[in-house]
Amino acid sequence: MRILIVDDSRAMRLIVARTLRLAGYDEHELVEATDGREALDVVADEPPDIVLCDWNMPRMSGLELLTALRTAGSRIPFGFVTSEASPQMRAAALQAGAMFLIAKPFTAEDFQDALDWVLA
Amino acid sequence: MPYIPSADDLEVITREVWSSFLDGDPAGLVAVGGDMPTDKITGCVHLTGAYTGSIMLQCSPPAARYAAAALFSIAAEDVTESEVVDAIGEIANMVGGNVKSMLPGPSALSLPSVVQGSLSVPGAQVMREVQLAWHAQPLFVSLWQQAS
Repeated sequence: MRILIVDDSRAMRLIVARTLRLAGYDEHELVEATDGREALDVVADEPPDIVLCDWNMPRMSGLELLTALRTAGSRIPFGFVTSEASPQMRAAALQAGAMFLIAKPFTAEDFQDALDWVLA
Repeated sequence: MPYIPSADDLEVITREVWSSFLDGDPAGLVAVGGDMPTDKITGCVHLTGAYTGSIMLQCSPPAARYAAAALFSIAAEDVTESEVVDAIGEIANMVGGNVKSMLPGPSALSLPSVVQGSLSVPGAQVMREVQLAWHAQPLFVSLWQQAS
């Protein structure tokens, strides 16, 4: 499977990739984007099987990306990986069509809980 | 009166970030103060809304390099300036996002900014601060509130 990691922090993209390996998802192809707008280009080029996306990013936020994808008819499984995990944020994420929200900092177990249904 | 996270809350959140991504040793962060050098690195995120203020993380340049080295899994002597900015910004973002979840909402969290030296927020006063040390280097986390 092809996993798109969207985060404006290169350190966080590395940590997400490392955590995916630790969670046992090391056979999947990883692609990266630095913000929502770049992610839209990646999706248009070759759609991933799942998107793991930060919330707060320059140019286009994760929520704006998700809204743009759903408006365009894309049903790609989409989850947030974000430092903001209040009940209001979780509700907004789910309402926009996200499958899950993983709070930073996270563990490999958090990834398994959220991703096993797609990747295992 | 809305709950304002305590200094202990700031410490717990910082320790969670450290134990998850920077240092698996819970004893790595020590709760002692120390002098913060003037050439410190400051990472900051701002909150606007029901709570308007800032969360700042300040540390010495060596601590910032160690943090970047840990996040990027490279040697401290190989860390570049842009990696320090990325790492300290992301740590400030993580700490800030978790602190935000404990504050009255709704409010919006800014993208992080990182500077060398102090970052002055006009009209803001410090509400909470925790002074820690990591690798014998000072690391302070503080919560600020804008005067209404």
